[in-house]
Amino acid sequence: MNKPYWGLWSLLFVALVFFAVMSLLPDDMRIGGQEIKTPSLAQDIKEHVTDSVPQKADTLDADGRLPNGRHPKGWRAPVDTTAKTILFIGDSMLEGLAPRLAAYCDKSGHKLIEVIWYSSSTLCWGKTARLTELIRTYHPNYIMVCLGANELYVPDIKRVRRPHLKKMLAEIGDIPYLWIGPPNWVEDTGINDLLAQEVDEGCFYLSANDHFDRSRDGAHPTRASAQKWMDRVIKWMGSNAAYPIKLNPPTQVTSRASRIVIYQPPV
Amino acid sequence: MLNVIDITQLLSQFTFNRDEPMLFTSGLFWVLFLVFLPIYACLKSRRVKMMVFVIAFSLFFFYKSSGWFFLLLVATSFIDWWVAQFIESSKNRTERRVALTVSLVLSLSVLLFFKYSNFVMSNLEALIGGNFQPLDLILPVGISFYTFRTISYVVDVYKGKIQPVDDYIDYLFFLSYFPCLVAGPIVRACDFMPQLRENKPATREMIYGGLWLVMLGVLKKAVFADYIAQYNNIAFGNPTGYTGFELLMAVLGYTMQIYCDFSGYSDMAIGLGSIMGFNLGINFNYPYRSLNVSEFWRRWHITLSQWLRDYVYIPLGGNRKGKLRQHFNLMVTMLLGGLWHGAAWTFVVWGAGHGIALCVHKLCKPWLDRIESTPFTRFVSWLITFSLVALLWVFFRASTFQTAGQVISGIFTDFEWAYLPVFLERRSTWCIMLALIYGLHFVPVRLWDKMRDWFINTHWMVKLLMFIVLVQLVLQFASATVQPFLYSQF
Repeated sequence: MNKPYWGLWSLLFVALVFFAVMSLLPDDMRIGGQEIKTPSLAQDIKEHVTDSVPQKADTLDADGRLPNGRHPKGWRAPVDTTAKTILFIGDSMLEGLAPRLAAYCDKSGHKLIEVIWYSSSTLCWGKTARLTELIRTYHPNYIMVCLGANELYVPDIKRVRRPHLKKMLAEIGDIPYLWIGPPNWVEDTGINDLLAQEVDEGCFYLSANDHFDRSRDGAHPTRASAQKWMDRVIKWMGSNAAYPIKLNPPTQVTSRASRIVIYQPPV
Repeated sequence: MLNVIDITQLLSQFTFNRDEPMLFTSGLFWVLFLVFLPIYACLKSRRVKMMVFVIAFSLFFFYKSSGWFFLLLVATSFIDWWVAQFIESSKNRTERRVALTVSLVLSLSVLLFFKYSNFVMSNLEALIGGNFQPLDLILPVGISFYTFRTISYVVDVYKGKIQPVDDYIDYLFFLSYFPCLVAGPIVRACDFMPQLRENKPATREMIYGGLWLVMLGVLKKAVFADYIAQYNNIAFGNPTGYTGFELLMAVLGYTMQIYCDFSGYSDMAIGLGSIMGFNLGINFNYPYRSLNVSEFWRRWHITLSQWLRDYVYIPLGGNRKGKLRQHFNLMVTMLLGGLWHGAAWTFVVWGAGHGIALCVHKLCKPWLDRIESTPFTRFVSWLITFSLVALLWVFFRASTFQTAGQVISGIFTDFEWAYLPVFLERRSTWCIMLALIYGLHFVPVRLWDKMRDWFINTHWMVKLLMFIVLVQLVLQFASATVQPFLYSQF
């Protein structure tokens, strides 16, 4: 091999070794306040070249969970008929969903706390402690989330958003919850797949395949369409949700949440 | 849980995966190139062994991206090599013509089947009705490019412009050569074969000059194009949700995105060719500096423009049969050029728009030539050309005419400068990057040449540092996201 080829090869090799070592470092490394992204080489090898070998049999724990902390497919808690404090968080889609949910809550004796963070995403929520603070403030015993519409186009989403989604789910902890997926107006780059992978069995409602009449911006469902969307979610909860709660059909079309908190779009 | 090496999973990384074609920007390619390079360097002086090795790598590259369709390339190369031999040996004009026709029909029918079957059938359905189900066809990667290369070879042999290649292995090397396989450049046999025959060793300038080009290509494709594409995709995906100002920014963004995407990939291909000791020419020459649309087509995708000129426009008569016929030939060439880019009517309209612009420019040229060249007139010429090219990109990008109409009407009917400050504030990184790309596009060529020469001669450690910084930039921007909605009115 002549000298220039040797020089080029060694350059590429050293760079590969450098990034292989970098991939072993934590994701959220910071230098001078700037977040330094690390390559996913080690993670890719783990995912694509190795196979997970269970160390013990997949038996259920006392709470009916598998060793990976998830409930087995089809698991459902009995319908909880007690009055709930429901914390409903998400992006601008809540403007259409929450008033209809409030009408159900009025009829069922639940208290609804509506928190709209405009233009937010799993990144915004995952990077802040806002969800923990809300839980600490309002002590909800049921949480509903509608997030993902601002993440339909995010490239490499499974890698870059998974940690933030996991953090959100960790903040929710043992509180029963439901995640309403985004109402796709275009094909997403993987947010729905990511939600389906990470969110517990029976806690994710896939909205992507539903039909929506859109408002002028072409993205948000119209008020009427959003109300039908909430109806479909509640119907689905009745037969599929892991944590079903009492939600009696309302007599009025919409109502107002007990408390509405609004956050401005993230900078 | 324990993780152990799974041989089946490991091997599956080397098999065809429809969702993960191997491109120059994929990590797997660079890991394999690291293995490829020393073997190639050792075999370089032994021509036949080197060719066998490169062909094997190229076919694997094609297999990884298109599965067993790589056999189609092998078959095409063999048929056209044989046809070229036959054309050369035959003295009978009719036989030669029949052989050429058979080759053209075969090459074009394969291309038409894979690329245009669904388009033709859906149009037939719209015309005569029926219940058409689209065929689940995989478009073999680079089929449009290698088909054009093999057509140019056979036609050039038929016209006596070049001698046919004696050994099949030479021709298979030419047609399967992996740097040019996916997205060009459309290198001609007359330019490539002499280099292959001579098989000169790659010089230091070629190797590091190639690396410089590859790095520029990666910067353009994986940093610039992929990042600014995020906002463009959002706006073009839902144009009614955006104001005229935001849509204009998306059009300006897409204008640079497509340039960085196409030319970035071309730079990587040409750079890899250079590293291997082959000069593949240039494919993009700062097209947005053009002062008229004719100049634009001399600077944009040069090898495709030249191919269309030599194998469509001139055979149709070019400018030899009067003005009217010349304009007709131009329109046909540009319509076909548009359709070549994609099987949709929006591409045809894009091609037609450029065809009309070229005809108008040719008609006005005697008058335009009389205008004195001043900085002001040059600026006006540039502005008109750039605006027209950018406007036509809307049809290239939009998935439907409705979307294109919404984008264009949004710009002209819902435009307010008031959105500028908030746009700059909320999408500052995107704006800075776009301004940077436009700025770099107008850096004098001699300065680029100086930077290239400096890079070639700079210390190895500096090169390594620049390479690492570039890859880190790719990582930083790969996961950076653009704000989707400024604020959506419900």
